[in-house]
Parts: sequence; C-alpha cells; structure tokens
Amino acid sequence: MNYDLQFFYVWQNLDKLGQGLLISLELTVLANLIGLSLGFVIALMLRARTVALRAPASALVEVFRCTPVLIQVVWFFYCVPILFNLFVDPMVMGVLALGLNLAAFNAEGYRAAIQSVPREQYDACSALGLSGWTRVRHVILPHALRAALPVLMTNGITIFQQSALVALVAIPDLMYEGKMLATETYRPIETYTVVALIYFAISAPISLIVQRIEARFDRVQA
Amino acid sequence: MMHFDPTLPLKYWDALLIGLWMSLRLTLICLVLGVALGFLTSQARRARFAPLRALAGLYVELFRGTPVLIQLFWIFYCLPLLLGFEPGNFASAVIALSLYAGAITSETFRASLKSIPREQYDTCRALGITGMSLALWVVAPQALLRAIPTLLSNAVALFKESALISAVGMADLMFIGSSISNRTGRPVEMLTAVAIIYFGVAFPLTRVVGRVEARILRRLAV
Repeated sequence: MNYDLQFFYVWQNLDKLGQGLLISLELTVLANLIGLSLGFVIALMLRARTVALRAPASALVEVFRCTPVLIQVVWFFYCVPILFNLFVDPMVMGVLALGLNLAAFNAEGYRAAIQSVPREQYDACSALGLSGWTRVRHVILPHALRAALPVLMTNGITIFQQSALVALVAIPDLMYEGKMLATETYRPIETYTVVALIYFAISAPISLIVQRIEARFDRVQA
Repeated sequence: MMHFDPTLPLKYWDALLIGLWMSLRLTLICLVLGVALGFLTSQARRARFAPLRALAGLYVELFRGTPVLIQLFWIFYCLPLLLGFEPGNFASAVIALSLYAGAITSETFRASLKSIPREQYDTCRALGITGMSLALWVVAPQALLRAIPTLLSNAVALFKESALISAVGMADLMFIGSSISNRTGRPVEMLTAVAIIYFGVAFPLTRVVGRVEARILRRLAV
C-alpha cells in the first residue's frame, strides 16, 4: 500500500460533518417520535376485531417491511408531491418515509410484546371493571412498552443508520456531507472512515445498552 | 388532475426483469457467502483465543453499527486505493454485501447456539461425547434448525438492502427503475412498479418464514 493518509482536510471540515450529523439526528428523533406513537396505534389496530381496522394496518406494515427503504424514501420524494399535490420541505418527506417505516417495524415489536401480556391480566381487568382505554393506558401499554423496549431501541438505532439514505435525494445529512467532502478533497478513505466512525460512535453505546437490558430480562426470566 | 398510465411499466418489462435478475443474483451469491462467513464468525466469537474473539466482535459491531450505504461506498471507493487495483463493480458489490450478510447472520447463529440448553452439554459430557462429535452431531443440527427462520428473514433483509447498489451505479432493479422513471418523467408509475416487484419477491418469502418457524417450533416442542 502506498497511499498517504492525510486527515488534515477532514479535520478542517469537521464543522460541515457536524452540521450533517445534526440533520441525521433530527431525522432520527422525529422518525422515532412517529415510529413509537404510530407503531403502538398500528399494533392495537392489528389486534382489532373489525377487519376495517385490521386490514389497513396490516397492509401498511407489510408494504413497509417488504420493500427496500431506499424505494420508500425515493417514492416519498418523487411520487407523493405529484399524487397529493404536496410540495413541502424535503426534510418533511424524509421524516415521513423513515417514520412510517419505523412505525411498521415497531408495530411488530409492540404486537409481540402485547401478546406476551399474560391472559390473567385481562381477566383481572375484567374483574376490576377496567375496560377500553383505561385498560390500554394503564395495563397493556406499560407492560408492552417494557417488554418491547429492546426491540424499539434496536429499531430506533437502525433508523439512524437508514437515515443515511436521504443523502441520495440530496438532503444534506452526515452521509451527504461526507460524500461531498470525499469528492471535493479526493480523500475518500479518510472521509468515509471518519463518517463511518461517527455513525458507529452513536450506534454502539445504544446497542450496548440494549444488550444490557436484554441480559437483565433474561436473568429475570430465568 | 394528472393522468396516470398504469401500463407504462409493462413497456419496460424486459429492462426491469434484467434489473431484478441482477438483484436476485447478487442476493443469492452474498447470502451463500454471508451465511458461511456468519457461521465462522459466530464460532470465532466463542473461541478460546481472546484476540480472535475480539476481532470477530469488532467486525460484527462495525458492520451492524454503520449504515450499509457507507460500507458500500467504502468498499467501492476506498478499497481499490488500498489494494492498488479495481476489483470491479460486481466483485465490490459482492464483497460489501457479503460482509454485511456475514455480520447479521453471525448474530443469528449466536442466538441459535445460545438456545441450546446447558443440560445437553452436561449430558454429552456424561455420555463421553466431546469435541468434534459434540459439535457435529449435537450442536450443529439444532443450531442450524433453530437458525433457519431467522436466516430466511436475513435473506429478505439482504434482498432489500441490495437496492443500495444502485447508488454506486450498478444496474439492479432499483437503478433501472429509477433511470426509466427519470427518462420518461413518470416517477409515480415506474417507482410504484419497482416497489411492487420488490414486494412481490419479499412478501411471499416472509410468509414462508412464518410457516417454517411454526413447523420448527412444533418439531422442537416434541
């Protein structure tokens, strides 16, 4: 190997990467807000008695889980404006695509967690006269949230990584800034390595926390 | 009101088919290589030799903790500089996606190895079954059987992630679909068609996962 590593240009442009990172984090946080809330609603719809609720929820989940995130992002960018005559900030489209994708994956996580709520708790609710919204809010949701926590966190961090796809539709996130910098400076190795490490530095601690939580759950169950 | 021509994608069916073939071929090759790499990695993570364990762990965490897009860019733009020659587009794509597949399947194998109860190891020891025969006749069959549903999900995930290779200019389904969409100025028809094709491959596979899972659970429960 006779490639001379020079990190000078990357350090000099670290502020640009920082701005990109802020956009990536903004996308991630907003997508997670949609994913955590809408995901739970979809999970409840999946368990509804009427087909009218179940069918659209399951269609949404399957469509978002069985197509590449890239086509979802591109579709929201090029098709939603034409179909709905909706011309808004690109960030909104990015958040929508990533948020709905996350909601579909979280819905599955919530669904498994809701299924793990023991039958007896429902019986106890009936005995105590708790029903409908009270039951969901005070019995099912706390239980499901706890059981689903590792999956929700893993999905949340996955969407941070998937957010890099918005670079391909020119939203100036971390990936986009990295790509520009690599092209401008002719320093792909240094730039892409630093960008990858930034993504890793944010994902790794969270996945460590998830491992801890899972280990604790395993111990409690054992 | 805009007029849509849902038959438009049919005119380009042959080009889309070539793209799909590229996506499928790449997925299959990388799946085979990835599963082999994943199994070896899962073994390396249990090795007695600490540096090997650390190296395998670092590999898995790095590839799971960074966006696949940056992995792809790194292999495409940085690896040739380090190697001193261009491995070519197809080979680069195979390297990138196989490394990613190896990282995710190694976690699958790890989980399935963990699910073999401690008692079986004790029993083997009591029966004098050790070393290679323990690994080959007791651990491997169960680990593989338990891993099959998740490996199928990994395959679906890999197929979806393969859409990213369009970003480095490889003529897969995503690339051909969006090129036609740009050229004809008909994103709604073309991109929706591409999404439907991806869905048409991935959705039946996810159904198979459920079936296989139920069958294996029944067998293991006996």
